[in-house]
Amino acid sequence: MSELSDVKAADQAADIVPTDGASKEPQPVAEPKVRRLNIIGLRNVFFTISLIVIIPGILSMWHNHFLLGIDFAGGTEFTATFTEHPSLAKVESAVSAEGLNGSVIQTTGGGYILRYPPLSAAQQTNVQNDLQTRLGPMNGGGPSQILEVGGTIAGETIEFSLIAIVVASLAILILLAVRFRNVPGGWRAGFQFGGSALAAMLHDVFVLTGLFSIFGTVLHWRVGEIDAFFVTAVLTVVGFSVHDTIVVFDRIRENLRVSQRLSFEQVVNLSIMQTAARSIITSFTVVLVLAAIFISGGTTLQGLSLALLIGIISGTYSSIFNAAPLLVVWRRLQPLR
Amino acid sequence: MNLVLSWPIRLAVVLILVFSLFVDGAGYVYRIANHYPLTGNVPGLPPNFGGWQLYFHKGLDLAGGTHIDYQLTNFPAGQSRADVQQRTIAVINKRVNSLNVSEPEIRGAGTNSDRITVDLAGVNAAQAQKTIGAVSKLVYTKWVADAAVTGGPEPGYKPQLTGLTGDDIQSANASIDPTGTSWVVNVSFTSHGGTTFDNLTRDNVAACPGDPNTSLTANCPARHLTIWLDLTQTDISHWEDPSYVAKVSAPYDPGCLAQQTEGSVCGKFLTDPITLQEIAGGNATISGGFTQTSAQDLATGINSGSLPVDLVALDVTQVSATLGDQSVKLSLAAGLLGLAIVVLFMIIYYRVPGLLASLALLFYAGAVLAIFKVVPITLTLAGITGFILSVGMAVDANVLIFERFKEEVRAGRTITAAVDAAVRRAWPAIRDSNTSTFITCVILGFFGPSIVKGFAITLAIGVLASLVSSIVVTHNLLAIVLTSGGFRRAGLLGVDRVRTV
Repeated sequence: MSELSDVKAADQAADIVPTDGASKEPQPVAEPKVRRLNIIGLRNVFFTISLIVIIPGILSMWHNHFLLGIDFAGGTEFTATFTEHPSLAKVESAVSAEGLNGSVIQTTGGGYILRYPPLSAAQQTNVQNDLQTRLGPMNGGGPSQILEVGGTIAGETIEFSLIAIVVASLAILILLAVRFRNVPGGWRAGFQFGGSALAAMLHDVFVLTGLFSIFGTVLHWRVGEIDAFFVTAVLTVVGFSVHDTIVVFDRIRENLRVSQRLSFEQVVNLSIMQTAARSIITSFTVVLVLAAIFISGGTTLQGLSLALLIGIISGTYSSIFNAAPLLVVWRRLQPLR
Repeated sequence: MNLVLSWPIRLAVVLILVFSLFVDGAGYVYRIANHYPLTGNVPGLPPNFGGWQLYFHKGLDLAGGTHIDYQLTNFPAGQSRADVQQRTIAVINKRVNSLNVSEPEIRGAGTNSDRITVDLAGVNAAQAQKTIGAVSKLVYTKWVADAAVTGGPEPGYKPQLTGLTGDDIQSANASIDPTGTSWVVNVSFTSHGGTTFDNLTRDNVAACPGDPNTSLTANCPARHLTIWLDLTQTDISHWEDPSYVAKVSAPYDPGCLAQQTEGSVCGKFLTDPITLQEIAGGNATISGGFTQTSAQDLATGINSGSLPVDLVALDVTQVSATLGDQSVKLSLAAGLLGLAIVVLFMIIYYRVPGLLASLALLFYAGAVLAIFKVVPITLTLAGITGFILSVGMAVDANVLIFERFKEEVRAGRTITAAVDAAVRRAWPAIRDSNTSTFITCVILGFFGPSIVKGFAITLAIGVLASLVSSIVVTHNLLAIVLTSGGFRRAGLLGVDRVRTV
């Protein structure tokens, strides 16, 4: 399919500088509407906005860490609905009366999540019986879900997730360097593109993890809990963020090839303008889908869809306002031509 | 680019469409006609190609059931760990079979062959752990005359415990005998077990001397050594009760044994071979009319007396069937809602091209669901989320093409030229961005925890299918529909003005 990317330079002149009368293309019917917003010129404003979101998140992660879900903290967790619908206070007193260090979380459906340190199989049966004596029978004769996670698995999940993020980052850096080495400047330019995309991606990872740290530990929202789903979300955001950035970079790559007259900054700004509509429309569609899941998806999918919402919005922002401006800054520090 | 628009490609798209529709629709008429549930496996589900059936395989979080990760500890010295793991899996399989679980999944895991993952649909955690972790004790009995006994393997005789038990057995395995003609089961004893076994076989032969193959007197019950699981002195004291003996002498039932309570009588019989000669050296061979399967069953039975290793449950997840049903409904609703929003948005914003892209999107969704059924991919909540997200990716490729299409039209190209240029120029971005997502998926599939793997697999399939759907299907639809006169009006294309040729 290599023929697809082989767009002849002459073929494109009309797209980049539409008023170019020397082109063999027919005269445009309408003036192209490329709004001239100077994103590159305002880059420090956009960097500042990002930092305002990221720094509190990093401080929160540094200081408070995360609210760990059972996948990471280990322990035993029952999800149950009681036929007699006891109040939260009643359930809490029943759980504390057991003396097993349990805690109670109310779910949206009127059920409860009861969380304990790791319990043996016999203890689990005892706890279930005890709860049913104190609070009346559970719907369906027992908990609707029992989760039991030992320390080994919890540690491995964290370890695997970190490895996955690091390996994915490296792979994306290499992929971009390879894909963008054919712009003027060769491999070094390729790594500039790859590095900027990677920085924008890390921006999104920090926005997401930082905000969740704040949600969980500062605001004490249950949705800020970190579990395996959250890891899934972070990795998806990594994919989406790079996805968005590549679209902008691809346009820069194309425009660099055909417009020798424009400065690098002008090319980048033009490319951002040309792709912004697509980035926003796509993200808007995905945001609609995620919002639908967030509202209708129940407790299980709420954390996941919120994380993805934040990540996608941050990813779109960073691809427009961070990735390409970073590329310009890098180019200034390390000129290639 | 002409390749994509050529008739072989178009034919392939139509064939994929027909195949997807067939696979997606398969079985629903039968389900409705026979009042079977609409999801999951049901008896006699057509189409059936040699046991290969088409339906969505639901993961435990959707079907309800128990998932356990076991750590294997105390590996026996001097045996390959992978081998021991396989034997343990065989034993667990045997025990789990008695629970009548549909499609139990018992897989080896762990970098050092030291993990086993068990997925049991429709079983609660307590029951599962009890069945899997049950310790049955294998015992050898000899036979003593008792005229009052009428039933059992040896009428007129009742068993007597010999002191030889599963602890004395190192391992049992099925193999083809040295002459290469029939299947046998080899049992190897520990050194203490070997000595005891030697003594027992010597007593056997002394009790009824001769060659049992030719001499009728040599072929007597006292020359048999019988293997049972969990046979106790209490059982033996009931040997004169015919109904009790009939129950105990039934082939061993691991599920019953795992959950036996006082008063229940389970099948405990394993095998009743005759001793041909005294066996010294600690290695015995049981032969006689085995098929490969029956020999392996017996070997597993002997091994199942005790697992070769200790099992420690690392994590246990139990999901009730009701919660699973709820999750299925929620994710279905979310998926349909998401799809509806996307389709509406595309049509409103991009008009005719949006409508065409929506058709391509339906093609895409149909094809991916067919892949899920055919492979089959076990669907979990995370997996369904991955699929819904891949819809977003599929839309993105279309948006890229359409935005480019508008630009090309604005720049003054004819519709035909604009379609061609739009696809051509959007391609590098679509290719590179999908490659990066695909790479992320592959890495997740390798390193991710199991919940993440399901997500990565469906997203990867979705990304690949979305590439085909946007580049091939959308492009073809655009080329066919937009070049045919009636749709060239600017209002239908979502652009300001169209250059007329």
